[in-house]
Amino acid sequence: MNISWIKKNTFHYSEFTDLTRLVDEKQRKNLKISLCLPTLNEEKTIAKEILIMKSELMTRYPILDEIVVVDSGSTDNTRNIARGYGADVYKAADILPDLANFKGKGENLWKALYVTQGDIIVYLDADIKNIHHRFAYGLLGPLILFDNIKYVKAFYDRPIAIGKSKIRPTGGGRVTELLIRPLFSLYFPELTQILQPLSGEYAGHREIFENIPFPIGYGVETSMILDIYEKWGLDVFAQVDLDRRIHRNQDTRALGKMSFAILQTFIKRKKKLGMVDYKEKLYNEMIQYNLIKNEFEPDIYKIEGHERPPIIEIPEYREKFKRIS
Amino acid sequence: MDNYIDKLPGFVDTIKSIEETIITNIVLMGQIPAPTFKEKRRANIFMERLAEFQVDECTTDGYRNPIGIIKGTSESKPPIFVVAHLDTVFSKDIDHYYSIQEKSITGAGIMDNSVGVGVLVSLPEIFRKLGLRFESDIVLAGVIQSLGKGNLRGIRHLLKTWATPIRGAVCIEAAELGRLNYYADGMIRCEVDCNISPVDGWEHKFKPNAILVINEVINQILKLRLPQKPRSRVIIGKNSGGFKHGVIAYDATLGFEIQSNSDKMVKSIFNSIKDIIEGTSHEYEVDLKLKTLSNIHAARIKFNHPLVKSSVAVMKKLDLTPVSGPSESELSIFLSRKIPAVTLGITRGVNYHQQNASVEIEPISKGIAQIIGVIMAIDSGVCDEHLLD
Repeated sequence: MNISWIKKNTFHYSEFTDLTRLVDEKQRKNLKISLCLPTLNEEKTIAKEILIMKSELMTRYPILDEIVVVDSGSTDNTRNIARGYGADVYKAADILPDLANFKGKGENLWKALYVTQGDIIVYLDADIKNIHHRFAYGLLGPLILFDNIKYVKAFYDRPIAIGKSKIRPTGGGRVTELLIRPLFSLYFPELTQILQPLSGEYAGHREIFENIPFPIGYGVETSMILDIYEKWGLDVFAQVDLDRRIHRNQDTRALGKMSFAILQTFIKRKKKLGMVDYKEKLYNEMIQYNLIKNEFEPDIYKIEGHERPPIIEIPEYREKFKRIS
Repeated sequence: MDNYIDKLPGFVDTIKSIEETIITNIVLMGQIPAPTFKEKRRANIFMERLAEFQVDECTTDGYRNPIGIIKGTSESKPPIFVVAHLDTVFSKDIDHYYSIQEKSITGAGIMDNSVGVGVLVSLPEIFRKLGLRFESDIVLAGVIQSLGKGNLRGIRHLLKTWATPIRGAVCIEAAELGRLNYYADGMIRCEVDCNISPVDGWEHKFKPNAILVINEVINQILKLRLPQKPRSRVIIGKNSGGFKHGVIAYDATLGFEIQSNSDKMVKSIFNSIKDIIEGTSHEYEVDLKLKTLSNIHAARIKFNHPLVKSSVAVMKKLDLTPVSGPSESELSIFLSRKIPAVTLGITRGVNYHQQNASVEIEPISKGIAQIIGVIMAIDSGVCDEHLLD
């Protein structure tokens, strides 16, 4: 196993605080950069993310060329607030409307490729309470400065917000440690060097994203890593320590559903690579039980595991970006 | 003077055009916890932001108040101070992450004093955007240890050790837009601690209850006859004690302030309360300790001082109605050192000292234009020939 990658390709955001240098390099390389925020009912945090990014990385240092919000159909005020603070806002269902409609984070990320202009795209979750522009410039630093790096993933010390107003200093990453890391250790030991493979913040060159499929739901982060690894190898990856990320805690049941979708994605990839051959059909329902009036009632949640193909295979995309499949 | 006054309404629009940067500064500063005596992290970020906005000098004084200096065009004019206190009343384990809505910002400490601090670090960029240069150096100071037991130590030290004369000062507070403070009452801030030994002593037939003892102290303070002239009052501000519903309280604390526009009266009321506490301590056979946390002398500039008159003119030009009252803040330290100063508010808000405090975004640009108007007034010389009484 090549373990030199972690030493060579792991950075701290503070290595990229010279924003003037990033602007100069970006201009020299004639790059366009898009920030995409996938949303679903994020009215509490979306304005702060847009405002800080716009002020620091558009107005003061012209690193970002656009901020795009792709929304899954929020029922709160997310889209209005985002528009009010100057982002380009789209409903995912309105992008490429002739295609079948799906709902999920992966769907938003995939469709963002069609509406954004950037050569580099930064994806940030929209629920980051302690948002700071380092979340974007930290991810962009290696992509702008090093030509061999094509995809950058964030990792953190991640405190979880508990109760109404208290913060405890450790926690998070349960699905990573209980599911992803054992799977990677079993099948792709090199990938264990990626410290937080499920972090929702990453950036990469368009040529990478347009050539990989996107699961529409939770599996998107895992599939991205596996597909990029398979096509381009580990050396195009980098990871950046972005310090702290304060996020909403999820209960164990929600993490169970997330794990189900990730396993689905993982197994699909392994089958494709010929690493396993399952003789029996895999089901697509996550079953959890509730105790209701002394009776155990199943709570069945269907996870279809739909995937979008590499967007370069979509004719409208090829036409818009003058690409050949 | 009319020259700059007329420009102020136009300033509002220009300031609005960089509102994102101003709000970003408010949020980035305010989200760092800074309880009194633990302002170091916020002070560091304050310096970082000032350095990023390219002030001419960025440093700390001997007391670790962070300071940025924008050099003026004149070698001889004394500097103008613009200050905002960095500390807040919230401990560091309180959630300080702010939420921005369409028209408001919400979060712990936003009104006291994140907006003030964020605006202070934004001033270099705002001056640049407005194309403003001043004759005087502009000293931007985020002062530490201001609130409660901090006893305004930061500003006291800064002014005590500042080597040269100071031309005038503007103190910035988040709220309320329209406030114009130009006088400070005399004030003594005290705490009374009542402690009762949990071990039974021979002198107590019945175990005294610390909360009830403090209650007796409060009742006696309320019986004091306070004069209307000099205007005087005692504010009972804090009270805590006990640890369990079904157990007599062994300890209790009372926090209060004596305020008056006469230092003599403050002292006289203080002595009366001291007598009350000694008497109660003796009669209840309990340990009552009176601690003085802060002491400020009454000081003022007159309403017809050119700084006040100019401030009123600036506010009226921006359709603001000035509302005046005493202020026991950085202002009092400037005034007590005979430095003309005013305190101004930037915006409007609700839930002042609560975790869900919230400020309006829309008025902020006008609040800043007003501050700049007053700085321009001082720079034009309104404080130069009028010594304080």
